[in-house]
Amino acid sequence: MLSQRMANIVFLILLLVAAAYFAWLAEGFEAAGLLASSGLPSKFFPQLLLGLIVACAVMVLLAYITKGSAGGDEGQTVYGSPIDAVRGLLTLVAMIVAYVIWRNVGYVAMAAFLGPATLATMGVRNPVIYGVVLALAACVYLVFSRLLGTQF
Amino acid sequence: MYDLTAIGAAFANLADPFTLLMLVLGIALGLVIGILPGLGPPIAIALALPFTFYMDAIPSLILLLAIYNAAIYGGSISAVSVGIPGTGAAIATVLDGNQMFKQGRGGEALGLSLAASVIGGLVSVVALAFIAPLLAEFAIKFGPREYLAISVFGLVVVVRVAGASLFKGLLVGCLGIWLTTWGLDELNGAERYTFGTYHLYEGIPLVPFLVGIFAVSEVLIGAETALRKVEFDVTSLTVKLPGMKVLSQLKGNLMRSSVLGTVIGIIPGEGAAVAAFFAYSEEKRRSKTPEKFGTGIPEGIVAPESANNATVGGALIPTLTLGVPGSPAAAVLLGAFLIQGLAPGPTLFDERPDIMFSLFLGLFLINVLLLFIGLIAIRFAAKLIMVPMSVIVPTVLLLSVTGIYSVSNSLFSVGILLGAGVLGYVVRKLGYSIAPLSIGFVLGHILENALRQSITIADGSIAEFFDTPIGIGIYVALFLTIMWGPAMTWIRGKMEGVEDA
Repeated sequence: MLSQRMANIVFLILLLVAAAYFAWLAEGFEAAGLLASSGLPSKFFPQLLLGLIVACAVMVLLAYITKGSAGGDEGQTVYGSPIDAVRGLLTLVAMIVAYVIWRNVGYVAMAAFLGPATLATMGVRNPVIYGVVLALAACVYLVFSRLLGTQF
Repeated sequence: MYDLTAIGAAFANLADPFTLLMLVLGIALGLVIGILPGLGPPIAIALALPFTFYMDAIPSLILLLAIYNAAIYGGSISAVSVGIPGTGAAIATVLDGNQMFKQGRGGEALGLSLAASVIGGLVSVVALAFIAPLLAEFAIKFGPREYLAISVFGLVVVVRVAGASLFKGLLVGCLGIWLTTWGLDELNGAERYTFGTYHLYEGIPLVPFLVGIFAVSEVLIGAETALRKVEFDVTSLTVKLPGMKVLSQLKGNLMRSSVLGTVIGIIPGEGAAVAAFFAYSEEKRRSKTPEKFGTGIPEGIVAPESANNATVGGALIPTLTLGVPGSPAAAVLLGAFLIQGLAPGPTLFDERPDIMFSLFLGLFLINVLLLFIGLIAIRFAAKLIMVPMSVIVPTVLLLSVTGIYSVSNSLFSVGILLGAGVLGYVVRKLGYSIAPLSIGFVLGHILENALRQSITIADGSIAEFFDTPIGIGIYVALFLTIMWGPAMTWIRGKMEGVEDA
């Protein structure tokens, strides 16, 4: 299983790379016209925060590399079991696919997909639960479209 | 300060049938969401937030306050009956509440938790009604340097209580603030991290971000263990409210815990859970029979329950007077004010005192009605506890995306919601707390504007930068807050050393 130590090290390295990229992007922040000379430059605050993020990330990274933990998570794993990981990540994928369906097909298709898809990713086999979730989805649609007047 | 016309208007506002309906509905919804394990007050408020878009300011804020208050109490019902706290605030209640339930004294335990929650809530409303107008009058004198000090205080305290690792808390707190720098620079109009899209000109929208961080990340975590069954074979729960004799025996405990909860609520942080544990350990420390705590005694329920509900009024004091949220739930509540075009802060007391007094009176009424609606809700709680997580996950997801779309009519906001949900999921799985992330995101704009204006005012002089007696007072309070824990540990260590000698 993926350990907290390994997952955090990878996350922190990605965070450091992202911080460097966003700090570089901030160099291009420019105010137009007269406002450009007023007060501190626009890049000051984002770069200050990115500096703080980098400093904290380095401290946490050092803690994981030297002590093996940060905040008492020594020997812990990110997921309880492989099946937990599969369910969590597949639900995340189902959620993103549902968003793509909404963008390309429409709300009703997304609503009809999201419930059964997440139930399938969670490993639910009981057809009654599928029926209940679809009925609840229909209720949500009716409340928003008929009662609140949302145009989907 | 206490404008009689505004107080009269507040009474009239609360007499409005729609506002009363929202108040009752809010209590019922809060109880339901509080009872369901995993869905706490911030999620409850976040899910209801899109519906408030269609309402006037007072009924919408009353609805959310009722949800906030009732959700904190609702968590104790599942804590007592199945030993699974519905909210973080109810974790301390499990210790004695579930023991009493197992001993066949479940009705008594549920009655004690309900009565203590109502009393704690009422004490905090009184504190809110007296302290908030005074603080608002004082805060009207605040300038950028004072707001900077208040924001730094709020953020550092949240980071300190958010988890075991200080640097992890600080990292996500800074990340939350940094995300507020996206969009047009408010002071000079420069484009920052807009990536060529006009959607980001106003920055990352607050409401989708907070709903994503709290609700979406929670259901993703819930999806991992959705098939685990709750062991519970009771079909209906009963409740036995404590009599005057019992309440009289517990009055010291109730008052101490309520005051403690209110004070901890005022300090920005994870108020309700911290307050509940603090009150529990304080009562255990004062008790002549501390060994009985955890075996199923009324004192072990009354202390955490009165303290956690008292944090609601406490958390609203900095939220309403300074615009600095006292808890993650209060941070989401700030989103409701923004939807209504209201900016919480000292000027709101001057401009709309009727709203402020409506909230005080409304919260008082919410606590009174919670007693009656709570009695009914407990009877149905057994059915709610049995609702499987597999039904909650897709329903909450659909409600979140639909609600956010209905507020903005924009799929971009739905994208932000999902992005924030993924961010919240990743940071939580890696052992970071989302409290500093959310509060950092709420405080980001105040912090940046206050810092930049303070630096401009100081004109390069450090002495000028700190030439603010109120600000220095706040920094000293922050220093004392940070040093309090280590100092007490050091003193206790020394005293134990002396006793051993």
